[in-house]
Amino acid sequence: MSVLQSAQRQEIPAFQSDKDSCPQCKSERYLNKSMKLLAGPCKHRICESCVQQIFDAGPAPCPECRRILRKAEFYLPIFEDLTVENEVRIRQRMAATYNKREEDFKTLADYNAYLEMVEELTFSLLYDVDTDETEFIIEKYRRDNTASIEKNQSKSRREEQLQKLISEQERIKRQNHREELAKQIEEEKREKKEAKDKLIDALATSDKDAKEIVKANMIQLKKSSLNNRNSAQKSRFDIDAFLGNANDDFDDDAEAEEDYGPFDPAESPYMPMDIVLKAKYDDPNPAFRQGSLAAAGMTREIHQRYVIEGAMAGLFAPYLQDESAEGGPTPDNNDENSMAVDAKVS
Amino acid sequence: MTDSRPQLYEQASQYQHWRFTRASLEKLRDANNKRGIDRVLRGLKEEANVSDDQSTLETRISEVTNNLLTPSEELQLIDYYLQMIKVYAQIYRKNGLLKPDALDDVKATAINFMKRFYLHNVVFDYPPKSIMLTCFYLATKVENAFMKIDDFVRPLQAAETKRGSKVQTRGEDILGLEFVVIQSLQFELAAHHPYRAAYGLYLDMQAFITDSALLKDVFDRTHHYIDLSLFTDLVFLFQPSQIAMGAFKLAAREKDLDIDSYLTQRFEARSLELLYSVLDDIQDTISVFKNTSQKDAQAIDRKLILCRNPEKNPNSKLYKKKAADQNDVPYVSDSDSD
Repeated sequence: MSVLQSAQRQEIPAFQSDKDSCPQCKSERYLNKSMKLLAGPCKHRICESCVQQIFDAGPAPCPECRRILRKAEFYLPIFEDLTVENEVRIRQRMAATYNKREEDFKTLADYNAYLEMVEELTFSLLYDVDTDETEFIIEKYRRDNTASIEKNQSKSRREEQLQKLISEQERIKRQNHREELAKQIEEEKREKKEAKDKLIDALATSDKDAKEIVKANMIQLKKSSLNNRNSAQKSRFDIDAFLGNANDDFDDDAEAEEDYGPFDPAESPYMPMDIVLKAKYDDPNPAFRQGSLAAAGMTREIHQRYVIEGAMAGLFAPYLQDESAEGGPTPDNNDENSMAVDAKVS
Repeated sequence: MTDSRPQLYEQASQYQHWRFTRASLEKLRDANNKRGIDRVLRGLKEEANVSDDQSTLETRISEVTNNLLTPSEELQLIDYYLQMIKVYAQIYRKNGLLKPDALDDVKATAINFMKRFYLHNVVFDYPPKSIMLTCFYLATKVENAFMKIDDFVRPLQAAETKRGSKVQTRGEDILGLEFVVIQSLQFELAAHHPYRAAYGLYLDMQAFITDSALLKDVFDRTHHYIDLSLFTDLVFLFQPSQIAMGAFKLAAREKDLDIDSYLTQRFEARSLELLYSVLDDIQDTISVFKNTSQKDAQAIDRKLILCRNPEKNPNSKLYKKKAADQNDVPYVSDSDSD
């Protein structure tokens, strides 16, 4: 009985529902928590004990469709939908053999042709078309390309290990950071308590004015909490730098962008005009005569600034140069195509 | 840190695509006119083929060639209809269809559209009367003063019935030309006018000029000069704020108000040098401009009737045949769905 390799690796549990029951022996999951409902190549489900009972003695017909099956052909499906399970299994098998990468091809067109070929074979397997021929082709390819298949497999194994290592390190870093933070909080609490005790002590024993003692104590407290915060920020920074390294394989374009500083959505992308508004204008617009708002949020200043900017915009725009004189885009209403437009008139 | 950000007014489509020099305007209009004339002759020949009427072709060609409109005559005719836009705007205001605040903008935008349209089209193909109505209707939409096409057409039809004219303006004709007009405008419908700029100048000047009554007088007179400037080519040559300033100067000179002290106080001397030459240009253009009289326009119109392009004339045989041909072709969908 087999389970999908990739699912095992990632520890994905098989799908099961509380109401599962074997169609043969009618035993329910309710009565047997650890019941395993296997599936056969004919997409019918049977519980593990029934499989043993029926198929131990050798190949036998499936209880539902009478197709001759062997015990080894049954598997524990991860997916609820058996067509999906079937497809995933087939694709996994194909990927084990056809594992070439884009780097192995000279041109993109070649890579695409290879992918197309693989997909054709996969489709034949999926829809049960010329299965024997397809299996033969796959076997032939495997024999011819053993070397490159091996190479690519070892490559992917190495990559997997590297990823595991990185994620492990990240996890550790994050855990350390969490512990640090917890420790810091502890420290702060302790310090606060100490300071309080000290204060009470000082008030009880010394002769100085009570108010002054409290003030001095407050200043000390503030200083110490500030120090803690600074050191916390420093340790946080390290994590970001570390994570930055893990993304080195991706696009370099992001780094090529200039840093324009923090983005301010209210900042205008255009050159501002230096316009100073007078306090009071004799404004012909009646809406603002009494300084009343014409619409929510609209003020006299906004309106006047808008209007005065309209007066200043382009005031010093130079003459257009003759050589670069653009006649603007020339639309063609004058060819046969425009007949179609005019035809609508009548 | 040097501010390398662009100026906002440079992003307007009016600045980017509809600015010319006087020389390039003239060249553009001449070329346009010539192309239009070629098309008229071609259309005539085609029509002769269609109606199998070669005999009258010779006479028609000579008739057309004698009555062809020069670019300046085209401009005069267009100018007459631009004046009509102003008249029509008043009619709609009286009917309550246009609010008085929107009047200036609608009128100016319509005039602007029509001028731009005739930079790339000729009156032989599209007579200015129909284009004027379409531009006006478009302008009401663009300037947020929309009125339904039926409301738009009603006062026109009423006037025509009163005149006893047999031809009635139809809403479908106006709407039918809409796409042609918008296409010629390259779908760039934002037009900027000197009115707001003049308003802004009026406010700004209050800080430097003490005689507020006189200033208000000058401001009101500026409006008149801006109206005049709309008919000239100034909108293609300069920025609206410059035209507003020029109009202000004209009005100020008329009413004896000194604007120059304001200019020297407000702006730097270096930029003023350029500004003064621009303003002089604007003032001269507005002062010498004369509108076309109705008599001249009618004379040109009579010539136009004889030399219209049959390809685009809905009353011609050629046009009707082409429209019929279009309808014969069965519509085949491009999609593969059945």
